[in-house]
Amino acid sequence: MKTNEWIPFLLAIVASSSAFGLLRGAEHAPVGYTDTPMLPGGKWHVHDPDRPQPKVVTLGTPETPGKPPSDAIVLFDGADLSRWRNDHGEPSRWVVKDGAMTVPPKKGKDTPAEDIWTKEEFGDIQLHLEFATPDPPHGDSQERGNSGVFLFGRYELQVLDSYHNRTYADGGCAAIYGQSPPLVNAARPPGEWQTYDVVFIAPRFKDGKLESPAHITVFHNGVLVQNHTEILGETGHKILAKYKPHGPQGPLRLQDHGNPIRYRNIWVRPLNISNE
Amino acid sequence: MNNSPAFNRCAKLAALFCVASLATALIGFAADKKEEKEPTVIDPGPPPSDAIVLFDGKDLSKWQSAKGAEAKWKLLGDGSMEVNGTGSIMTKEEFGDVQLHVEWATPKEVKGHGQERGNSGVYLQGRYEIQVLDSFENKTYFNGQAGAFYEHNAPLVNASRKPGEWQTYDIIYHPPKAGADGKPVPGSFTVLHNGVLIQDHIPVTGDATRAANFQGIAPKGPLVLQDHGNPVRYRNIWVRRL
Repeated sequence: MKTNEWIPFLLAIVASSSAFGLLRGAEHAPVGYTDTPMLPGGKWHVHDPDRPQPKVVTLGTPETPGKPPSDAIVLFDGADLSRWRNDHGEPSRWVVKDGAMTVPPKKGKDTPAEDIWTKEEFGDIQLHLEFATPDPPHGDSQERGNSGVFLFGRYELQVLDSYHNRTYADGGCAAIYGQSPPLVNAARPPGEWQTYDVVFIAPRFKDGKLESPAHITVFHNGVLVQNHTEILGETGHKILAKYKPHGPQGPLRLQDHGNPIRYRNIWVRPLNISNE
Repeated sequence: MNNSPAFNRCAKLAALFCVASLATALIGFAADKKEEKEPTVIDPGPPPSDAIVLFDGKDLSKWQSAKGAEAKWKLLGDGSMEVNGTGSIMTKEEFGDVQLHVEWATPKEVKGHGQERGNSGVYLQGRYEIQVLDSFENKTYFNGQAGAFYEHNAPLVNASRKPGEWQTYDIIYHPPKAGADGKPVPGSFTVLHNGVLIQDHIPVTGDATRAANFQGIAPKGPLVLQDHGNPVRYRNIWVRRL
């Protein structure tokens, strides 16, 4: 019966610590989903709100854009959109100004998004691009500075304002959306130019079946964030990615997610690498 | 002790409340645990805030000679150091899986041909060398030119800058591991030279590179910069453990 004497103390400790825990928990509104399929490995749902957040690393002042390598195909040098098209193969409405191309303002409330696509198609590539999210920022989580780089028009490397902006880990900037969070959060503040240096090895299909999955390595502002990451399939929202067979080449697509993201200095180097 | 029914009822209620509180506390702890992994924000400043800076131009405090004595490469006072014939230098700290950033420049005054021109090297774990060489209009065997995994793998392209100009290596390295069946499991190299992909996830396997200071498979090892007798300069060396 002696333990009874401890109960009030226990109560006090437990109650205060739980209240503290609840209070601290309440600081963050939940981001993400748990009604989604499990990713391979059985640990996390797609867009899992409990998946650990990537560690934030900070960097120096962004360097001025460098010259593209001599063997690169320059997709956008700040002058025009001659190498790009809209979703219907027509000239794009993206706005070229001050050496950057920007997601266009919506014509009306119900106008569909207007992604921009390269006319040319690519297989295995090294890709360099620079982007800046809007300053001042608007919205939270996925509503803040959202866009995306879709390899083959299908596999998304997320673009998001992830500077002090919490979202589900597999939806942050430099995530393979819905699949793999970045190794660390290397985001710069809104309005500042950021870089992606990407090595993308395309998936291989044989007789309508996946022979080898795509792999992606990404440096975000010079920091390794995707390390030869296997891509699970075509990007989707709240679904488990699956491959659909396609050819050996595909276009590059930049996403209009309703936020005026700017892009500049986009170049690509087709790689002549045998499949690994 | 008091065993009255009133007290028992009170104790039971208290116990019940205690259990309930414990449950909420556990949930609270779970939330806190999640919070422990919350990213920390650190002050800006190149290099990345989570990097270990091995050389920032000021001193050689993170380095030693291959024999464990003082490192004696020449500090030039402009943020760089220069190979001066005092032997290769290695980090005091040891590393396994890393992202490594190194900047180097071969002598502006061009001397010699092939392997004799601006030769040095970056040895991961003191074992596997990414070649440093003046490969600007300087022919040599392909797996011995700048950016080669020396004597294993030529670079995909020659992305060399001119002699005297600063060049960058951004390297992702994973050490080979001892396999269960005794056969080594290959590690890998990915290298960007001046921002251009030159080694794409190539396997690192087999014996250490010729002239390596260390042999055999190990989880970690020091980073070694080679003194090959040419006054190659280095600066801005940092590493991030992966």
